[in-house]
Amino acid sequence: MTIQSGTPEAPLAPLGDSSGVAAPMLVDQRSLAPRRDQSNELVRSVGPVIRAAYGWISKHFAAVLLGMILVAILATFKQGGLDLMGQQLRNALVLGAIYALVAIGYTMVYGIIELINFAHGDVFAAAGFYAVFIASTLHLDSLATGSFGGLLLALIIVFPLSMIAAGITGVVIEFVAYRRLRDSPRLAPLITAIGVSFLIEGIMLVIEGPDNVATNQADWITGTAFTIGGVSVAWTDIFVVGMALFLMFALGEFVRRTRLGKAMRSTAQDRTAALLCGININRTISATFFIGSALAAAAAVIYSINYGDLKWNLGFHLGIIAFTAAVLGGIGNIVGAGVGGFIIGLIYVFGGSIFGGEWSESLIFAVLVLILTFRPVGLFGVEVTTRA
Amino acid sequence: MLERLLSLFRIDTGKRDRNQGTTVFWIIAGTASTLLLMGWLLPWFVNDYSAGVGYSAQDALVSSPTGIGTFCIYVMAVAMVILVLSPIAEAIARARGSAFGKRADRIRFIAALVGLALTAVVWFLVSVIQEEPLFGAFTAGTYTDSAVWLEMYGFAMAALAYGARDWVVARQSVAFGVAALPFGIFLPLMFHQAPDFLLWAAGSLAIYMLLALGLNVVVGFAGLLDLGYAAFFAIGGYACASFASPIHNIHLPLWVLIFLGAAVASMFGAVLGAPTLRLRGDYLAIVTLGFGEIIPDLATNNVFNLTGGANGISGIDQPHYGALDFSTSPRWYYWSLLIVSIVVIVFLRNIERSRVGRAWVALREDEVAAAATGINTTTTKLLAFAIGASVSGLAGAFYGSIVSIVSPDDFSFSVSIAVLSIVVLGGIGNITGVILGSFILTFVIFWVLPNMNEWTTTLSTTVHVPALAGIDFSSYTFIIYGLALIAMMLLRPGGLLPSRARRIELESAEESESLAAVQGVA
Repeated sequence: MTIQSGTPEAPLAPLGDSSGVAAPMLVDQRSLAPRRDQSNELVRSVGPVIRAAYGWISKHFAAVLLGMILVAILATFKQGGLDLMGQQLRNALVLGAIYALVAIGYTMVYGIIELINFAHGDVFAAAGFYAVFIASTLHLDSLATGSFGGLLLALIIVFPLSMIAAGITGVVIEFVAYRRLRDSPRLAPLITAIGVSFLIEGIMLVIEGPDNVATNQADWITGTAFTIGGVSVAWTDIFVVGMALFLMFALGEFVRRTRLGKAMRSTAQDRTAALLCGININRTISATFFIGSALAAAAAVIYSINYGDLKWNLGFHLGIIAFTAAVLGGIGNIVGAGVGGFIIGLIYVFGGSIFGGEWSESLIFAVLVLILTFRPVGLFGVEVTTRA
Repeated sequence: MLERLLSLFRIDTGKRDRNQGTTVFWIIAGTASTLLLMGWLLPWFVNDYSAGVGYSAQDALVSSPTGIGTFCIYVMAVAMVILVLSPIAEAIARARGSAFGKRADRIRFIAALVGLALTAVVWFLVSVIQEEPLFGAFTAGTYTDSAVWLEMYGFAMAALAYGARDWVVARQSVAFGVAALPFGIFLPLMFHQAPDFLLWAAGSLAIYMLLALGLNVVVGFAGLLDLGYAAFFAIGGYACASFASPIHNIHLPLWVLIFLGAAVASMFGAVLGAPTLRLRGDYLAIVTLGFGEIIPDLATNNVFNLTGGANGISGIDQPHYGALDFSTSPRWYYWSLLIVSIVVIVFLRNIERSRVGRAWVALREDEVAAAATGINTTTTKLLAFAIGASVSGLAGAFYGSIVSIVSPDDFSFSVSIAVLSIVVLGGIGNITGVILGSFILTFVIFWVLPNMNEWTTTLSTTVHVPALAGIDFSSYTFIIYGLALIAMMLLRPGGLLPSRARRIELESAEESESLAAVQGVA
């Protein structure tokens, strides 16, 4: 660059620019020299390769993952033919629907206050016990098994009541454990979240005991709807997937169309700006917890109807798996969480059918570690976002 | 190089923060009072009060209020009452704004010395001159000599606290060591009739303290939340089990294995740390949690037939050198763990104050600023992970050797949470706090709760409330962890003994937004 010396409005040379007049005196030139590369030969040769591989995998993570799932499905086909593949697909759909509903709770809470709500999985388990309690107090079991109308009535009673109860649980948790720590460093609310999770698990352990608790709700919906080839699809399967899709659709419409949904979206985007626009932040966050917990409760009732037993620590592993689904779909993204839930269902079931069922959970945790390592923004996320 | 490494094990006796010195003073004074009370009440609790004449000091007072021995006990009781009540009085006075003067300290110092001397006299009367009516015989069935130990130690501690108060406040870490170390060394002698207590001290307290100290490096110093810490514990435990048991027919000595366990665990720590370094706090927590679930799963599923499956590996060797047999008495484990813990504590204190320790703090406070000042964030974080994991691996090797069997259930998520609760309860980032936290929590979880069933059964038969007998207190551990975590975070986020830097950080409402913005990807 040329320096127009003499003119008073001459631009200042940038710091360290050796062509500047004053620069050599201001900055020691030696400190500006590029640092000698101290790494050894191995690091220099291997480093770029690793970096390139890392970049490639993180760029094509979705393709790699879906390709592997496809391979697993085909391997299952080769193993047991179309029947096994169809049965496993059905199982994956049913499981995925439950994961998706729970994952939505994680993703909504993370989206709005950037907190991994560890207690969410335990709210799910607690909601299952609420439903059992409601059903036994109101004698719904005999009603539901009696006739189709009775079943419908029982469902209409048990779903909203347990959803409301779980929703209130979620709101109370937020109010007691998270609200006061909203502006503290990140670790503080995370640690209370773990504490709440353990507290709920402990209470359930004390009340319900350490063993599996059989619920009578497995008898509510029985019978086979139809059979394609060797794959029999039960009415429960249809109920599970249909109910989950309906709830997800309803939630989507709610968030998209209502004022509260709009408030949620804006609070998630920028809390301060939302506050300036007159949105009641506390109420919006409480509503988010309510809805997330209510969806978990719906998932719990579905789970109980489908599998027929509950356990005090059911929420822990299921919670992590659902969280993996939320991360897979890009945390904060409700549609992503729904899709992620189904993908995780596929991985769980087909991974289990290839490696053996005892590896399913390890596989999901490994997927979690891989996603967070290679693509923390999730399958549908953009590479650079200001918000996770 | 070697000199630098050795300097990390040098014992530092410099002067510290006066504020914390006062806390240490109160800990010493409070512990002294507690020990005095415990010593006085111990014979009452352990032996049936009505079973024999004169098992405890109270019985002596009741049975024969004459004689020189009983006079000594009266004076001892007065000294004890002074030392137990005066700290409470002083605390109340302080709360009201007035303070006790030097004279009060002198009186208490004299009371402590008199009590100490008289305890020795009484002990001499009973055990050497055999003045039976006073206390009852010193047989293996009585707990009287445990009580005498406690009384003497309590008086000695009180004498230290009140006689050298200024010194205690000024040189708090030395004072703490002087007060605590003899207790640690003599403990197996004090409670030689209660081997299960010793086993608790060695097996639960020391192991969990080591784990908490290691986790404190990761969470407290470097500010990285690790929820899968039990995985490194498992790695250490399985390393010990694999190389010192019949399963692969390899029998290495424990002293090699603790280093092996530490090395293997730190390697895993670095391997886990490497890909997760880009992640922000809560994502890192989840990744470590996933890792912590995978490791026990691998062990359960008996990967490569190495781990013995769900039953784990049993028959792990316990050291045996002639008369020094680790398998028969827990006291040898106790003393080994005491030495190891002291070495680890000194090492961690020094590393906290070293260049690396300051780099961790800088990283914790603001990663971008730390990187800008020339700190290599990658190696610094990896070092935190590796050092934290190595302490855990060391603890795991000891654990495997003590219980002689490892199984996947020993390393579940609840272990990670127990350790995290200890760190949070004691004070994140403060070694003294973490030690205190491990004392409190392991005492409650592994000593009080298991014994609680028995106590409440007794209580329910005495007061005729049958409902009390039915409660199974061992299932309350999860509730205690949960409540500890929530209550500490809400009410006292720095823990019982907060570290100064952490206190400032946690109390400031602002979080560095720049970090989130720059890191972006997470």
